[in-house]
Amino acid sequence: MPENPSRDEIVKARKEVYLGSVVAPRVESRKLFLFSLLCALALFPLLQVASGRFNYWLHMLLFTFLNVTMAASWNIIGGYAGYISLGHNVFSGIGGYVAGALLIFYGLSPFLTAPLAGVVACLFGLLFGLITLRTRGSAFIIATIALVLLTKLGLDNWELLGGTNGVSLPLLPLPARFVKLPFYYGMLLTAVGAVYLSYRIRHSKFGLGLRAIAQDETKAEVAGIPTSLYKILAFAISGFFPGMAGALWAYYLTYLRPTIYFAILGAAEIVLMVLLGGRGTVAGPVLGAVLLVAMNEFFVARFGSTELNIAGTGLLMLIILIFFPEGIVGTLRDRKKLPRLLDWG
Amino acid sequence: MLLEVENVTAGYGAGPNILDGVSLRIEQGKSYCIIGPNGAGKSTLLRTICGLLRPRSGRIIFKGEVLNNLRPDQILRKGICFVPQDRSLFPEMSVKENLLMAGYTLTNKQDLEQRIQTVFEIFPVLKERQSQLAQTLSGGEQQMLAMARALILKPDVIMLDEPSLGLAPLVAIQVFESIKKLKELGMTILLVEQNARKGLECADWGYVLDLGKNRFEGPAHSLLHDPQIEELYLGKRRGTRPQGKTRTLEQGVDGS
Amino acid sequence: MIQLVQVFLLGLTLGGVYALMASGLTLIFGVMRIVNIAHGAFILFAAYLAYWGFKLYQIDPMFSLLFTMPVMFLLGMGIYRLLFPRIAGSRRFTSMTVLLTFSLALIMEGVMGFLYSGIYRSANPPYTTRALLFGPFYLPLAQLYATLLSLVLLGLLFLFLRFTRTGRAIRATMQNRTAAQIVGVNVEQISTLAFGIGTALAGASGSMVSFLFTFFPAKHWQWIGTLLALIVLGGMGSLPGSVVGSFLLAVIAAYLGYFYGPTWSPITFYLALFLILLIRPEGLLGKKLEA
Ligand SMILES: Nc1ncnc2c1ncn2[C@@H]1O[C@H](COP(=O)(O)OP(=O)(O)OP(=O)(O)O)[C@@H](O)[C@H]1O
Ligand SMILES: [Mg+2]
Repeated sequence: MPENPSRDEIVKARKEVYLGSVVAPRVESRKLFLFSLLCALALFPLLQVASGRFNYWLHMLLFTFLNVTMAASWNIIGGYAGYISLGHNVFSGIGGYVAGALLIFYGLSPFLTAPLAGVVACLFGLLFGLITLRTRGSAFIIATIALVLLTKLGLDNWELLGGTNGVSLPLLPLPARFVKLPFYYGMLLTAVGAVYLSYRIRHSKFGLGLRAIAQDETKAEVAGIPTSLYKILAFAISGFFPGMAGALWAYYLTYLRPTIYFAILGAAEIVLMVLLGGRGTVAGPVLGAVLLVAMNEFFVARFGSTELNIAGTGLLMLIILIFFPEGIVGTLRDRKKLPRLLDWG
Repeated sequence: MLLEVENVTAGYGAGPNILDGVSLRIEQGKSYCIIGPNGAGKSTLLRTICGLLRPRSGRIIFKGEVLNNLRPDQILRKGICFVPQDRSLFPEMSVKENLLMAGYTLTNKQDLEQRIQTVFEIFPVLKERQSQLAQTLSGGEQQMLAMARALILKPDVIMLDEPSLGLAPLVAIQVFESIKKLKELGMTILLVEQNARKGLECADWGYVLDLGKNRFEGPAHSLLHDPQIEELYLGKRRGTRPQGKTRTLEQGVDGS
Repeated sequence: MIQLVQVFLLGLTLGGVYALMASGLTLIFGVMRIVNIAHGAFILFAAYLAYWGFKLYQIDPMFSLLFTMPVMFLLGMGIYRLLFPRIAGSRRFTSMTVLLTFSLALIMEGVMGFLYSGIYRSANPPYTTRALLFGPFYLPLAQLYATLLSLVLLGLLFLFLRFTRTGRAIRATMQNRTAAQIVGVNVEQISTLAFGIGTALAGASGSMVSFLFTFFPAKHWQWIGTLLALIVLGGMGSLPGSVVGSFLLAVIAAYLGYFYGPTWSPITFYLALFLILLIRPEGLLGKKLEA
């Protein structure tokens, strides 16, 4: 025998009737959107298998996945905790070198060792975080810049792994038509993993702590959040998927070379993607990565690859910093104009 | 009316209003004490008056002139000096250099030297310590230096933010003595004090500020003996605002 | 033994130039809490100015600071006015400045790369190939001149900060910005000026760099690494600290280069940076780096 509902329940039910018709189906449509997006991405290679003419698109998508991985991971420390890392490409570099070395010396496929590369990158992040994240504020950024330069210097001088010239890796023995497919799926998985991780962290107590640190570190500390521990953990965790992606990327490129992994510009682009999309949001880094890859491709196709691209990257970053510090997603959300499709929580 | 604050709102960055419509009326030669719990916005009010923070709305009028959009250095030249809560000295400069910096807006060197000597007469300790670095002074001496620095300019209004903060009781008494001395010299004083009793004792008129709003005002001695004020703001539990009591106070304000 | 002393001398004569580079950066951080990642790019830009002055008009690069300094002074003030008031008051101001000046560095690198391509350049007035010999030791004249000139400039900077009214205002602002405002310093004006002076010092450094080193547009990253280490070592915002740090690191780097080969000597700066952060997060002489 059901009891009579209380007044509150009635109000709640009414709200559901009035608002539900507006809200509920959209939540569904968002899930549907993400699901179909993933399906489409998962099925896309069939076109290549069928026709063999989609290698360029596979490459572009793969490259986008790499960048999504980097941006979503960066967001954990740079967006949630507010500690900007200008050296995040070091993680992918380490992943690449670890997996590459294992391949050269022990013949282990990077597809197997990628998670290991991720773990090594994590540990490295832990070590680096222990050194630099006990301090507060901007010393960290400076240290991350130094990290890129230092790692590059080290590898430039490490003759065993080819020094400045780098070293080639054996090819994946598959016909040209199929050779990109394992990388494609591997990278897709990494990207999805990175985005999902950042989503979960955002909705965890840990994520709340990180955002408190970004807001006001002193207050966070007073409120009992172990700020140093959280910062260091966030930094280490943010290295895992980049490490994995770096391992796959090295194998995909078939060579290791310090300049590809340890360029300041590469680090800057990761930051730019997240700033463009929206720091501290889940969808922002994904959007930013897609847009930036598309934009770069457009400009390179249009004007060729000149030094002006560097200037363009800088200029775009400057404009975003000054005029849209919250990025696309953040700005739209502040103006309450964020489409539900981009509101990933 | 020397200085008038009309319904001012202000806050930090893009944050909420810390001052939520505050008004003050300051007359020449009188002294005023603002009391209120921690976080009420007392310091924010003083920072807004001296231009370190821009008001979001309302008006600040000094000698008939609106100060709202002036920079701190311009307001200072108009004759309002501020001694902040943290004293804000130049830690790596000597006492003498700090006082020289205080005369930054003066152009006449002899005049400045003279004023420094006058200030030394009010605070003889500083004269003894004139070549010592400010960061090595004791808390009380630092407070003296901060006040001396403001006095150099012979301002029309001097604003003191919690001058007794962090001082031993005896030293605090000295500081209140020097405030009374300033009052006798005819200076207009705007004092913010946690130590509400002592503060009100130095003042002619008192304001109570809470949650960014004026809650109460009146002659200082009558505030001192008002049972409601006593219970809310002068009680033993200094700095903690008893929850749920505000409403009675508001009624008190409305009723008064 | 003679070799070791020789290496010491070589390191020491580079220290002055490093000190000059670091002093501009320190001034800018000290007054405004801006970490100027573009400082290396400013230096490089001035180096190109000096280089073209030498190539096209045969102006001795040492005297080129007569125009690099004013040009950079104006450029610096302009950039400051254009960019920084817009982010004033934002949360984590210093972190914002790092990103902002980082983008500025990218823009300048790109433009210089576009204009001058990646060719390695260096001005070569006659004294770049000569050396001063005394006893068993030698000092390359270029290095000697550059360091002496740097020391003169640093001395002038010291006198300016110590004995002029504006200099006192700058020091006061470095020590306590609010206090400076309270005593009537127009800190925005002082900041613009200090930024200009900082970039003018970068201009002077650029003049030296043009005949001391070979350079190319992306070279500024090497210097910014070095410079950041120098100012962290000097205690952020402490001028004497950064001067002492510069000499110290220059000498250590010279020894490292001597024992392990020149490619390793830059590592000194990075290792020093991490070491300092590890043991004394606030630098050698003082101030903490806050958000
Ligand atoms: N620089 C700042 N940025 C942001 N918020 C601030 C800043 N300074 C003060 N606040 C906030 O403004 C509110 C009022 O602060 P204020 O210092 O004016 O209070 P107060 O009345 O002087 O308190 P106390 O007696 O503790 O000095 C507080 O909630 C404080 O957190
Ligand atoms: Mg206060």
